Amino acid sequence: MPQHGGVSDSERDLLRQSVRDFLARAWPSETAVERAGDAAAVTTLWRGMAGQGLTSLGADPAEAGLREIVLVFEELGRAACPAPLLGAVAANLALSQQGSNAARALLAGLHKGDAAVALALGGFDGDAAAGRVDIRRQVARGTVSFVEGMQGATHVLVFTDAPVGVTVVAVDAPGLTVRATPGLAVPPFCNVAFEGAPVDWLELAASTLSDIALAARLACAGRALGAAQRAFDLAAENAKVRKQFGQFIGQFQAVQHKLADCLIRLDGARLAIDSAAAARDAGNPDWTVFASAAIAFASPALREASIQTHRALGAIGYAEEHEAPRHFRRVHADLARFGGVSRARAELADHLLGPVP
Amino acid sequence: MGAAAEAFRNEVRDWLARHWTPERRAAHLKKPFKEHGWDPDFSRLMGRDGWIGVGWPRKFGGQGRGPTEQIAFVTEMANVGAPVQAHSTGESIVAQALFLHGSPEQQAEWLPAIKRGERTFALGYSEPEAGSDLAALRTRAVRDGDHFVVNGQKLWSTGGDKAEYIWLAVRTDPEAKKHAGISVLMVDLRSPGVTLRPSLALYGKTFSAQFYDNVRVPAANLVGAPNNGWKVITDALAAERVMIGGTRMAGIERAFDRLTDYLKTAVVGGKALRNDPVIRDRIGALAADIEVARQFQMRNCRLIEQGRVPLHEAAMGKVFSSELQERLGQAALDILGTGGLLSEDAGGAPVGEMEQVLRHSIMGMIGGGTNEIQRNVIAQRGLDLPR
Repeated sequence: MPQHGGVSDSERDLLRQSVRDFLARAWPSETAVERAGDAAAVTTLWRGMAGQGLTSLGADPAEAGLREIVLVFEELGRAACPAPLLGAVAANLALSQQGSNAARALLAGLHKGDAAVALALGGFDGDAAAGRVDIRRQVARGTVSFVEGMQGATHVLVFTDAPVGVTVVAVDAPGLTVRATPGLAVPPFCNVAFEGAPVDWLELAASTLSDIALAARLACAGRALGAAQRAFDLAAENAKVRKQFGQFIGQFQAVQHKLADCLIRLDGARLAIDSAAAARDAGNPDWTVFASAAIAFASPALREASIQTHRALGAIGYAEEHEAPRHFRRVHADLARFGGVSRARAELADHLLGPVP
Repeated sequence: MGAAAEAFRNEVRDWLARHWTPERRAAHLKKPFKEHGWDPDFSRLMGRDGWIGVGWPRKFGGQGRGPTEQIAFVTEMANVGAPVQAHSTGESIVAQALFLHGSPEQQAEWLPAIKRGERTFALGYSEPEAGSDLAALRTRAVRDGDHFVVNGQKLWSTGGDKAEYIWLAVRTDPEAKKHAGISVLMVDLRSPGVTLRPSLALYGKTFSAQFYDNVRVPAANLVGAPNNGWKVITDALAAERVMIGGTRMAGIERAFDRLTDYLKTAVVGGKALRNDPVIRDRIGALAADIEVARQFQMRNCRLIEQGRVPLHEAAMGKVFSSELQERLGQAALDILGTGGLLSEDAGGAPVGEMEQVLRHSIMGMIGGGTNEIQRNVIAQRGLDLPR
């Protein structure tokens, strides 16, 4: 786990503002949903993000640690932006210390915005149905589900567990079949089958891959937080202007208490996620415990905040043309993944009570 | 926590090891439960060695410790069950108000006495018709020469059957708008005309109702300007919420540690409880909540260190940690079953004090402003929702 160079609070504020401003231009709220399914639009967005240096996140811990990665994911969530950043971060974390020409070429393409990487955690995903890919004689076989970022991707980064390592496969490689699996997640996850695809495979320690997978989980919790916070902000503003029974609905104690509870959940999740990311950046080996705690709290808390936000909004927030539905989808899609709350609680129980024999 | 804070923590532990000895603790625990935590002798011992007023400014004789160290201090005290209640109201709420609003004479007389552990206080706020709406209080104080004459009734004063003094909110101007006619008096509970009616609260300790019948209180015991009492009360409370939360968190963490320590080895009906997936899920959920409660507490400390008084942030911490205490108590009963109902002094109790955690949680949700009032604060001050 790398030691972090140390980014100051004011630098983080600047980063947040610049990402927010960029996304307001490059991925405006009005067209965010319809463009999510438009591969060309995502590709253009991705090149713009490369221009902002965002596709290098994770490559150099002195430039940006997990706190900054999570911060950018929060902004992606807030903007309902489907940029394939999760794969880029995982590739940067996994490959930036690797000397192979293939790894260097991929990262160079990624940092310029020419390459975009989808992420398949396979056996490291944490969801029992995520599948796995095995490598034998430089050929990949297996099927992985819940792959994020296939739309517009040039490559897919796959974590393998037999043997343990990673492989990067071009999406047009022979023996690779991609099938979108629509659902609550927008854009949809994909199912990717490897039927004898020839690959370059790189051995990495299981602990390294687990660490990266946990960083990815925390980043997704951050993205859910950004989405939940944005929908909540809209609901809180609506409560100040919407009148019923002759008064602002925000004057009703039933609404005030609902929104107060949401704020507790949002702030609690933010503090816990940020503290876990900061622990990793500080080289604290217990960061995994803090990350499990953050995810175990955030998963039910942000989903509940999302539900209660809709209650406070009423029917206006139920229309797909309102921003709230996209955030509802994002919150749930990001928090039900990777084994969700049950796995995070189980990790904490392992830590406190010892693993189950 | 930094090295300096760790050194301070060790200093506290060292003092406790020498003065809160197993013998002293055993003798304390032999007293009836309702007296646990209240020990004026121990308060004076702490005062003698400078452990009252750890967070007070140096100019008032304190150690000038910041909020993080103060929390470390109350945590160390709570972890070993050291009795601090006799002096804590005076040390925290009364002293804080005297720093800001006390006259030089009051500061010179009362602060050193509190610091020595020689003046014990209870709070006289609630009345039969003034609870959450504290500013509706009606206990009257009328100036008469060098004295005020007090008439009225107060309720639910924690420790109000044992304290020597009461920090009394009274109405001095019945014509003014309700927040504008309030003053604060420090009243000797042994004065003629004071009648105490102690009662037992659900958590096993006492509080009292007091009846004031023409009680004469020296005018020198008025804190702050006449009719400025609302400011005195709110200033004192805002500064203290975080420390009160620190004590509650220490209790929650201690109870959770006891529960998990038990679960690590307990075998019931031939099965190791630690392998039960339902129990593991519940423990994982509580552990995450405890981490979040700690984060709220640390945020409050950071705000104080930045010179801000956390208001809605403190309310969030209070709501979250008190309701967490309730969840912990409920979870313990579900996990331990009937055995969880047993007191710690009952033979065969799996983990004592768990039902006590649950009973105590009710006070956490009511005392210091109910959680419903806290939610109003969060909505109106944190979210700027209309009143």
